[in-house]
Amino acid sequence: MTYGTTVPHPAPEHGRPPRPGGTDAGLPRLLPAHGAVPVDLRTHLDRYGAPPYLGQAGRLIPVLKAAGLTGRGGAAFPVHRKLAAVAHAGTRPVVIGNGAEGEPASDKDKSLLWISPHLVLDGLQLAAEAVGSATVGLYLHRHPRLQDRLRSAVAQRAAAGLDQAMVEIIDAPPRFLAGEESALASRVNGGPAMPRFKPPMVFERGVVGRPTLVQNVETLAHLALIARFGAAWFRAAGTAAEPGSMLCTLHQADGRRDVLETGLGTPLHSLLALDGQVQAVLSGGYHGAWLPAADAARMTLSNVDLQPAGAFVGAGVLVALPADCCGIAEAARVARFLALESAGQCGPCFNGLPRIAAAMDEIARPRPDPRAVTDMFRWAALVQGRGACHHPDGSVRFIRSALHVFRDEITNHGQGRCVDPARRPFLPLPAGTALSAADWS
Amino acid sequence: MNGITQSTALWYASRATGVVSLLLLTGVTLLGVLVNRQGRLPGLPRFAVTGLHRNLSLLGVLFVAVHVITAVADPYVTIGLAAAVIPFASPYKPLWLGLGAISLDVVLALILTSLARARMNRRLWRAVHWLAYLAWGSALVHSLTSSTDLHQGVLLYLAIGCALAVAGSVIWRISQAGRELPREERAAATLDMMSPRSVRAPARRGPREHIR
Repeated sequence: MTYGTTVPHPAPEHGRPPRPGGTDAGLPRLLPAHGAVPVDLRTHLDRYGAPPYLGQAGRLIPVLKAAGLTGRGGAAFPVHRKLAAVAHAGTRPVVIGNGAEGEPASDKDKSLLWISPHLVLDGLQLAAEAVGSATVGLYLHRHPRLQDRLRSAVAQRAAAGLDQAMVEIIDAPPRFLAGEESALASRVNGGPAMPRFKPPMVFERGVVGRPTLVQNVETLAHLALIARFGAAWFRAAGTAAEPGSMLCTLHQADGRRDVLETGLGTPLHSLLALDGQVQAVLSGGYHGAWLPAADAARMTLSNVDLQPAGAFVGAGVLVALPADCCGIAEAARVARFLALESAGQCGPCFNGLPRIAAAMDEIARPRPDPRAVTDMFRWAALVQGRGACHHPDGSVRFIRSALHVFRDEITNHGQGRCVDPARRPFLPLPAGTALSAADWS
Repeated sequence: MNGITQSTALWYASRATGVVSLLLLTGVTLLGVLVNRQGRLPGLPRFAVTGLHRNLSLLGVLFVAVHVITAVADPYVTIGLAAAVIPFASPYKPLWLGLGAISLDVVLALILTSLARARMNRRLWRAVHWLAYLAWGSALVHSLTSSTDLHQGVLLYLAIGCALAVAGSVIWRISQAGRELPREERAAATLDMMSPRSVRAPARRGPREHIR
């Protein structure tokens, strides 16, 4: 077993960094080396001590810049730039940890929150100090056990006097777009978790009109470790252009699903078993892109490699699609999901994506109408860049890459054949869709 | 009529492009109301209505530009380039030409804000876009008052038709308010419309597909 958190690794000594250097660069950093046992506050304090407050706003920002930490929620935006923008906005800012993992194929934020909640909460406090904020929240899906665990962690920390700001836990609806920054701000403001047009950016005007720092929970955990061990330690993993490590959710072709922490720049073939039984790899989740398995086998987990191929690292979702699975049928299922997850605000999105989904359904059928593919490309061009958020763009990227990578399967369907007549679903999708306003809040 | 001579060509061009501009602006206004209410045109997908609204507006600006330039260049009356954009600055018919200048200014603001829409505050864009009604209204009054072309015959009926169409669309818009589908139901409704098969239970595929 080479996956998961069971990589053999010496337990670090008290207050010392998990050993940097070497081939594993001190990995895993965020999840404990042995098993998925949740880290309680005592163990956390034994290992890392109290959060290293710097006593003044702004001091952490150059350290984060030197570390080159980027957002781990998917957009890979440089963390120091967002912090600097919020810190210098002039009004008292708000800081929210974003744990809304709407991507059905991603488990990494839930795993991190469950296993290492105190790293996330340390990061939240340190980020709040860095931007001079006393208003701090944690945005989590309505998962009762996870929320209870975080609530009790927050209470324990408060009792131990570890936190400078009180952390409020805010409910996120179970929607794909709930974690989008402006949707988050709207939800925290008491509205529906729907995105709005930018500008103004959320870091300029977010929660109650104040500059709001929204950071993914994994980003905050990395931040907490960088504050302790420094930029050079962080850079011991990853590449010079994309430093550090990240949590990935790996879906193997045999159906196994694991969360693994790995350095950026790790070859994809060492993360996913890419043998003859795999036809394609999905990188970046349902707003990401498909790659032929042979191409993916030559790439590393880095935007330098993936972006020229139209994909990206995103939030670390990697799926190996088995060879006996119909890529078009799978893409059609996801297209339908993406269409129904439209917030229904922007015409090109709520009109265009269902059309595209219906056309995908058409070409997933035997002997489809040959016009469906050309229709789809036409509609894809019409919806791209036309939304308040990137939902249309991400959905189109996913569909286009599927049409390209699974083009042989489209030909197959034209002749009335399919690689998987039984159509066993492979990609994970939730059961329900939004039908009422309550589903968005 | 003595036919078009060199001295009257600009005058005729200005009058003709003015009439076409009014028609185009009316069309753009009607399409704008349709876009706003997410209405449809027979045979066109919804976003094609948006595309038509955009492209027709650019065509309209082109005609307005020719209309203004020929009017300024026409030596028969002295308008001046400044008066084309500064309302009520024209020595000739200051009030009626001023309305045209207002219309031109607003149309330019609409085009510029729409080109920069991705990079600007949406509320501001919306606020500016409300002025479209002002642009159309002042253009209509300007057309009826600056020239006598629209006072009789076919052109009179055309002007009345434009006024009725926009008035009708405004009434339709008001009557439609509050009748639109809630946001959270829109995508599902479109999907329902697109595929007759059951769509609300997502991603359920059964053996009924009979692919082999």
